Formats: sequence, structure tokens, C-alpha cells
Amino acid sequence: MFKNRWKTLLVWSLLPFSVGLLFFIVVQVFFPKPSPILTSVDFGVAAFVLGATLRVPSVFAFLFGFVATLISVGIYYWDRRRVWEAQSLYADYVQDTAQKRRHFLRRLDHEIKNPLTGMRAALVNLKEEKTEEERQRAVGNADRAVQRLTRLLTDLRKLSDLDDRAIERLPVDVPELLDDVVTAARTIPAYEGRNITLLIPKIPSPFPMITGDRDLLVLAVYNLVENALKFTSAEDSIEVRALEDGRSILIEVADSGVGIPSEDISRIFDELYRGSNARGTEGSGLGLALVHRIAVLHGGGAGVRSSQTNPRGTVFTVRLPRR
Amino acid sequence: MTLDRPTLLLADDDPTIADSLAPFLERAGFHVLVVSDGASALEKAHAHHPELIILDVLMPRMDGREVLRRLRRSNVWTPTILLTQVGEASERALALEEGADDYLNKPFDPHELLARIRAVLRRARPGERSLTAAWLLTAKDLSLDRRARRATLAGRTLDMTPKALAVLEYLMTHPDEAVTRERLLEVVWGWEYPAGTRTVDTRMAELRRALNDDPAEPRFIETIPGEGYRFIAQVHGEG
Repeated sequence: MFKNRWKTLLVWSLLPFSVGLLFFIVVQVFFPKPSPILTSVDFGVAAFVLGATLRVPSVFAFLFGFVATLISVGIYYWDRRRVWEAQSLYADYVQDTAQKRRHFLRRLDHEIKNPLTGMRAALVNLKEEKTEEERQRAVGNADRAVQRLTRLLTDLRKLSDLDDRAIERLPVDVPELLDDVVTAARTIPAYEGRNITLLIPKIPSPFPMITGDRDLLVLAVYNLVENALKFTSAEDSIEVRALEDGRSILIEVADSGVGIPSEDISRIFDELYRGSNARGTEGSGLGLALVHRIAVLHGGGAGVRSSQTNPRGTVFTVRLPRR
Repeated sequence: MTLDRPTLLLADDDPTIADSLAPFLERAGFHVLVVSDGASALEKAHAHHPELIILDVLMPRMDGREVLRRLRRSNVWTPTILLTQVGEASERALALEEGADDYLNKPFDPHELLARIRAVLRRARPGERSLTAAWLLTAKDLSLDRRARRATLAGRTLDMTPKALAVLEYLMTHPDEAVTRERLLEVVWGWEYPAGTRTVDTRMAELRRALNDDPAEPRFIETIPGEGYRFIAQVHGEG
């Protein structure tokens, strides 16, 4: 009897439960984006209402309705979890972008401030200096400040151009490209007589081609070589080399210079970031950011490894997918 | 008093630029009219018939491009140089499309502006439409359809990259003019950089291969050692 009574109750309670479940499924199918309240409550309410209609002892209908509600709330939260995760990732991204932007503006302020101060001082000298020699010196200084600002603006424009325009996708012969860059770098008057070696493997031959924008790739490799020249002295040597590992082409620019402090390594590709030993050096502070951007636009990436103790040196790597 | 000095109309809304450029151009032997917005530029162009107009792009009361469009629409073919604010790729292409005779990216060296002014004046045929305003350019059996971005040689469509085509376009719209590699970089690539001159040479080699032009005995493009390139064939413009 006791057993039988439990059986009756179970059947009578399972019935509204399953009808409630059916109702829930129907709602899910016909209203794919129901309001959160509807989603979590419909299941339980349907179970309860049906239980009452069919005169199931109300306490059991309520119990099953309650369980059903819990299940539906569970389903709802389980479903929303992915959305929340995405939202939190996005919030992190926004915060990160805002921070990068603040850093960028602060660095930009710094990069503009210095040449502008130099130019103001030069103008004062130009007004007040009496001797022709002093005035010529002021003109020279103003000229240099203008060149620095121009260089900064040109590189900023290159960066924004990269975001706007479609890159060319044509076959590019890497050894020939590297040869062009090395030849151009050897003829920079300020770095005459520097030791730059080009290393291209002879096997496999010919070296595999890549697809990309030759002009942009020239710019990227040139920036790396120029960077290496800037941070090395006449006694150091620089190697430009191409490697391949079946899937990617690696272009490396290595130098035997003083190396990059480890605290600078992670931010070295950031726009306008200057490492602690790069403060006094010429340049816009955008060269490596351009390299990174160009590599990414080609479906690859840029990296760096460096050591300040023996064996010291720095190797910049650009990885590009094979054709 | 300005009889034998060519008159230039300079339109730029930045007084520091206009105030410094005007005396510089006066010293170079021009008579300079200065205006600071687009509407006055249009007015002065009609009233004074300058020999050449220098237009900034971003100006109050009508931008430089609109001024140029209106002038061309009313059949005024005064040679015009556009000063662009930023070297955006789209802006460069537009400047060519709207019939500017040449253009210069800010910031520029005033001597570069002077060189551009002299080159444009040398090429100009008063009252006539210039090649830069023509949609179809032909030279011997070569023709360039600027709107369709297509070049044909003896009726056969040439296979070349957009950059090579842009180089050809600039050379054909500036025939018989020594065009430096730096100039090509600025107008076609929009930037200059030290390795850039070799970049130009690479595209030039591609262009010559497509045109089947022998550098030793050129039909179209001649190399001027130490200077740059020159388009030597006679160019006709249509449409």
C-alpha cells in the first residue's frame, strides 16, 4: 500500500514534469532568444500549472516544479557562461587597448616635445645671436629638429597606411629581396664599411618562395638591418639570413651588439617604445612596430631573442608562411 | 608691375604656411595671391586668371578638391597643384582622378614645391586640358585606360601589378619630364625610405618587361643616370 502510494505519486508528478519539459523545448525552439526570466521559469511554472490542473497533490507538483525550475536555471546559466566569458575577454581587451593608447600618447608627447624644444631654442638664438656663425648653427639645429619630426610623421603614416590598404599578394623571392636590402644598407653613408653578411642556404635550391607584398617586406627587413646598425659599433658584425623549416620561411637579422635588457624585450615591438639603451638613439621609435605589423599582415609574426652576457648579441626573427 | 611675373594663387588656411610660402615664392620670381579658404580661391581663380593654382585639400568653406572639380567643370584648365594633408593612399589616387596636374604631400620642402611649380608651368599649354585630366592616354601602340586600370600594347592587355601601373600612369601624365625615384616613391608609394630607390627600380624592371622596352634602346621609358626616368614617347590624352 505504502509502496503503491509512492508509485501513484511518482507517476502523477512525473507527468507534469515531462509535459513541462515538452513545453520548455517548444519555447526553446520557437523563441530561440527568450528572455532570461522566461527561460528559467517557464519550465517550472508549466510543471506547476499542469500539476494543479491534473489535480496532482499540490505539494509534489510544487516540488517537481521547483526541481524543474532549478534545472532550467542551470541550463540557462550553463548556456550564458560562454557569453560571459567572451564579455570578460572583451572587457580585458578594451582595457588593454585603452592602456596601450595612453602609453602611446605619452610616448608621442615625448617624441614631439624634444625636437620642438630644440626648435624653439634655435629660433631664440636666430633672433638674438649676432654672429653669422652662431646663426648658421641655430639654422642647422632647427633643420635637424624638423627632420626628426618629419621622420616621426612619415613612420606614423606608414603604420596607419598599413591598416587602411590591402597588401599585395604576389610571389616574392626572399634571397633576392634580402640581397637588395643588404646592398642598400651597405651604402648608407653613416654606416660605411660595416660588416654585414648575407647567408642563404644552398639546399634546397631554389629557396622556397613566399606570397606577399615585396615593398612592405623590404621595409620590414630594412628596418631590422638599420636597427642592428644603430645598436652596434664598427667592430661588431651583422648577419642577415634566411632559413626554412618546411612550413615557414624565417628571416633573421642577427648582431653581435650589446644586447637588449630583458625588461625591454616584451615591449620592444610596441609603438614608440624605447628600450633603456635606445633613449639617445636616432629614430622614430616605430621601426620595430612596423616590422611586427607587416609580419602579422602576411600571416606570420616577429620575435626577438637577446643576451647581454657572453655569448652576447641579438637576433630578430620574422616568420612568414611558405607559399 | 606684375606684367612679366607669372601669377600664382596660393590657397591654404594655415597662416603660418601661407605667410612663409608667399615671400619664398615671390623671391623665386612669382607674383603670389594668397587666400585662406576654398570659396575665395574659386572666386580669385575666376577673377584674376592666375597661371597656376596651389590648393590645400582641407580648407574651410569648400575643400580644395571641390574647388578643383568646380573649376574643371566650368572649363578652367589652369594648372593646379594639390597639397594633401595626409599621405593617405586613397587621397593620392583621388588627386590624380580629379585633374590635379601634380600634388605634394605635407610636410614638404619649399624647394620641392618650387620644382613642381616650374615643371607644371613648363608642361602647361594655356587654356588646354592637361594630360592629367584625361582618362585615356595613348603613346605609340601603348594605351592606358585610367578608369579601368588597364594598359594595352598593340591591342593586347598587359599583365602588371597595380604599383607598376601607377608608375606608368605617373610617367605618362608627366611625359618628357625627368622624374626622380624619390618623386615616384612619394606619388605612388606615398612614403620615402632609404631602400626605396631600389624598390622603384624593381617595379621599373617589371614595367619594362611588360612593355617589352629595352633600356638600352627605349621606345617608352628612358633611364637618366643618377637622376631617374623619363617617358620619351609622345602622349595623347582623350576623354
